[in-house]
Amino acid sequence: MTDYQLLIQRYDPEHDNEPRLQRFTVPGDHTTSVLDALLYVQQKRDVTLGLRWSCRMAICGSCGVMVNGIPKLGCKTFLRDYHSDITIEPLAHFAVEKDLIVDMTQFLAHLSAIKPYLINDYSGTALHKQTPTQLAKYQQFSNCINCGLCYSACPQFGLNPEFLGPAAITLAQRYNLDSRDNGKAARMPQLNGKNGAWGCTFVGFCSDVCPKQLDPAAAVNQAKVESAKDFIISMFKP
Amino acid sequence: MSSPKRSDEPVWWALFSAGGVCFAVFLPGSILALGILWPLGLLNSSVLQYAQLLSLLQSGYGLTGLAFTGAVICLPLFHAAHRIHHGLHDLKCGYSSATKLLCYGLAAALSMLALYLTLHLILAD
Ligand code: FES
Repeated sequence: MTDYQLLIQRYDPEHDNEPRLQRFTVPGDHTTSVLDALLYVQQKRDVTLGLRWSCRMAICGSCGVMVNGIPKLGCKTFLRDYHSDITIEPLAHFAVEKDLIVDMTQFLAHLSAIKPYLINDYSGTALHKQTPTQLAKYQQFSNCINCGLCYSACPQFGLNPEFLGPAAITLAQRYNLDSRDNGKAARMPQLNGKNGAWGCTFVGFCSDVCPKQLDPAAAVNQAKVESAKDFIISMFKP
Repeated sequence: MSSPKRSDEPVWWALFSAGGVCFAVFLPGSILALGILWPLGLLNSSVLQYAQLLSLLQSGYGLTGLAFTGAVICLPLFHAAHRIHHGLHDLKCGYSSATKLLCYGLAAALSMLALYLTLHLILAD
């Protein structure tokens, strides 16, 4: 067992004027994740520490925090990779509800704005078959766990919270590229706006932090190409 | 969410992308040949005689000269204008339709001037 030094941001909007960092010493070995350490603090040191988590296996996407300033999933980040103080803060660019818990309302609104579901007039009950090639077109973009790390990484979302952001645009691509879907025309207006694909300046940090290696920056740039094509087509429409 | 207004960004982005390609492909060679090797006297000077360069620019009814100016001056100007315009947004420094007009307007004006001077040269004799 090694002793690790954690600096955890605490903030209770009902009592505190501003956030502060609180130091905790946490024992850990090479299997101790940041989430394990936070749960240790909550169970053994301060029961009032607020944090979100569920699956502990990088599937639910609820344990996102900033670790030394980089957006990470707490359950997929290990203390063994850090050698001095580990600073843990709530996800950047979101409003803090308490301690490490952020308000995801706007993020979820952006996801639903792009109509993230199959749109078609298919009403039968038979299986809708897809070839491996058709599946490969969108499969990578369908692995999003909605953790929001890419929004914390995106400086454009930080500057302009109206920007749809990496995950929402990736999700739009995921459905637009699906052979079972006919909803592209309904999604393009959101992507065509200045807060759609065009809010991105291709910083690319979203793809660096994505815990599922979705490459949202690639999806956003594909969406720019789609939006540019849509722009040209619209010029020839009455 | 209601339908947002269509952005005119595809136009600027297309010019930006084309300019980026030119920046990467044509500018380094041009700078190396015309900006470094030639002044250092490392190029066979007969290649860069006025008459020879002019006939090169005039080839293809002068389209070669105009294409060269377009690739080495005009498109890179729009690329730079786009970067500066979005850089102002990143720096939270005066990003507005006025700076947009200024950036792309300047790129357009300088492009026109460059094309005019090229045309003037091509049609000189
Ligand atoms: S706890 Fe579910 S992703 Fe970390």
